[in-house]
Amino acid sequence: MKRSIGAAAGAFLLALSLFPSPAFPVLYIDINAPGGKRLPIAVADVAVGPGDPSLSRGIPKILSDDLALTDLFDLVPPTAHMETVTEAHFSGKPLSFPGWKMIGAEAVVIGKVEARGERLSIEMRLYDATQGTLLVGKRYTGAPTELRSIVHRFANEIVFTFTGVRGVFGTEIAFTARQGKSRGKELYIVGMDGQDLRKVTNNRSFNLFPRWSPDGQWVAYTSYRTGAPNVYLRNISTGAEKEVIRFGGSKAPGGFSPDGVWLYAGVSQAGNSDIYRVRVVGGAVEKVVEGWGLEVSPSPSPDGRRIAFVSDRGGSPQVYVKSLGAAGETRISNGTGYATSPSWSPAGDRIAYTARSGGRFVIATVAPDGSGTREVASAPDGDCEDPSFSPDGRSLVYTYRKRGYSALKIISSDGRRQRTLVSGLVDAGSPAWSPGR
Amino acid sequence: MKGTFSWKWALLVMSVAALVAVGCAKKQTVKSEGAQGGPGAASAPAPGAVSEAPVKEAPTAPVAAAPAEQPESAPAPAAAAAPGVAVTEEKPSLFDDVRFDFDKSAVKEDGRKTCQGVADYLKKHPGAQMLIEGHCDERGTSEYNMALGERRATAVMTYLVSLGVSKAGLSTVSFGKEKPLDPGHSEEAWAKNRRAHFVLK
Repeated sequence: MKRSIGAAAGAFLLALSLFPSPAFPVLYIDINAPGGKRLPIAVADVAVGPGDPSLSRGIPKILSDDLALTDLFDLVPPTAHMETVTEAHFSGKPLSFPGWKMIGAEAVVIGKVEARGERLSIEMRLYDATQGTLLVGKRYTGAPTELRSIVHRFANEIVFTFTGVRGVFGTEIAFTARQGKSRGKELYIVGMDGQDLRKVTNNRSFNLFPRWSPDGQWVAYTSYRTGAPNVYLRNISTGAEKEVIRFGGSKAPGGFSPDGVWLYAGVSQAGNSDIYRVRVVGGAVEKVVEGWGLEVSPSPSPDGRRIAFVSDRGGSPQVYVKSLGAAGETRISNGTGYATSPSWSPAGDRIAYTARSGGRFVIATVAPDGSGTREVASAPDGDCEDPSFSPDGRSLVYTYRKRGYSALKIISSDGRRQRTLVSGLVDAGSPAWSPGR
Repeated sequence: MKGTFSWKWALLVMSVAALVAVGCAKKQTVKSEGAQGGPGAASAPAPGAVSEAPVKEAPTAPVAAAPAEQPESAPAPAAAAAPGVAVTEEKPSLFDDVRFDFDKSAVKEDGRKTCQGVADYLKKHPGAQMLIEGHCDERGTSEYNMALGERRATAVMTYLVSLGVSKAGLSTVSFGKEKPLDPGHSEEAWAKNRRAHFVLK
């Protein structure tokens, strides 16, 4: 007994010496406690060296908007702040932590920015106001156009510091929509905060089913720009493209293997769609699932060992799971009518899909063994379809459709919080959330 | 004896631990502006002019900047193809559409009559090339409907072949739910949109 006390103390000592000081956040948010306590945090106006004075408020605004998208923080309003952050706070002058605590902040974010020509330098720091300790600090440099992306990165650091899971700020959602009165569909990309919406393709044909590569650099999609559907890979930064699937009739990419080597797709031959995988480099083709039914929408598991897919072999489309290289496929959707578009969660523990329930389409999730089905998103007046998990697994993006109206929405995986990501585009759909940044 | 020894040892360790903890805390407040970076801030050399970079983020790489190298990419050959306006337009047809039930691809009685007319025409015009488009209504997901449209088009092609039409003059394409004939959202519109459409090439 007493020995074990000694051993415990020894372990404590070991732990202390292993971890450099700031790695022990005293403040910690349990993300698995629904409705748990929110952390009061103040994001101070940043000190602007040479540069646009509006950045002083602009940067905290971006950061605060990010943090407000989670249900983890309460933001102490800037009007309550009493201390002005200056350059001196970055070269030894301590913050007045009692003052920050007095206005209710348990954590304080400060920053400074300098813009010299085409070079932006931003330093951000997160302090524990109750202990007066630096929790994390980062300096970033980049082009002025990368301001938002830099601030998103630090927002991710903040979330990581308090939860142990990286935030998803700065990630993007690829989707399809019709442009104005055009009958065609183009690919679009939008930031997860709804900002920076842009059109990616412009060939006035049908461009469908965007799927991100694991490195977030490429999007695979089906395009009819030659008149027939083929699958292309497009580099999101450069716009370079490469055709990857040309055989067969209808074809729709479902997802990449986690190592990015294979692209899984449903491809029809002689009217019968099966699941194939194609080597992104080299183009070798393997059939993964076949049957007399329609097999579509492959979604690889995060460990790359299984795929979820849709088959109508039982008379209606349902979601199945198969271990690659092994016999046997297990049906995991238990709705009677219609279950499509599976999306595997990043942790591998859930599969989201579109289910038909009471004449409407809803979003459900289920464990990969078919247990624990839960409805996550539904609308009394419309359909919810095509779920895609965020890289941290905490949210899903999906299509909401009501007669002529469509929107992309984001909902927390527990179904408790929801917001509209994109509205106002015609027939928006097929959202795919990018990997983490 | 044995017991006291380990108790003393435990006390010693704990007091050392306490000392270290205090030391760490001090270090933390004092040195936070100095050598101590955040987790992951470690090793990268300071970029450019800014010499004091205690809390510098590891990547000196400009954020999301460098144009990614393109491994094996010849730019897509199809890029030269004409803008796909034509693909999205409804093409006129000499024949009625073949209609289908929801989530079905069986060619029904009235569809068979239409197919007979198409077959008669194609037999009279042996060189003709007929494209059979498969379409679906807006309900359900795009991917599944894409495969379903292909199955519908293929069902019609198979039926035409059974009527004696040469397969060489037939081809199929699916537009899934992307190209509705009737943009409405009623049962009536959906019924019109679940169809195979004949286009002479």
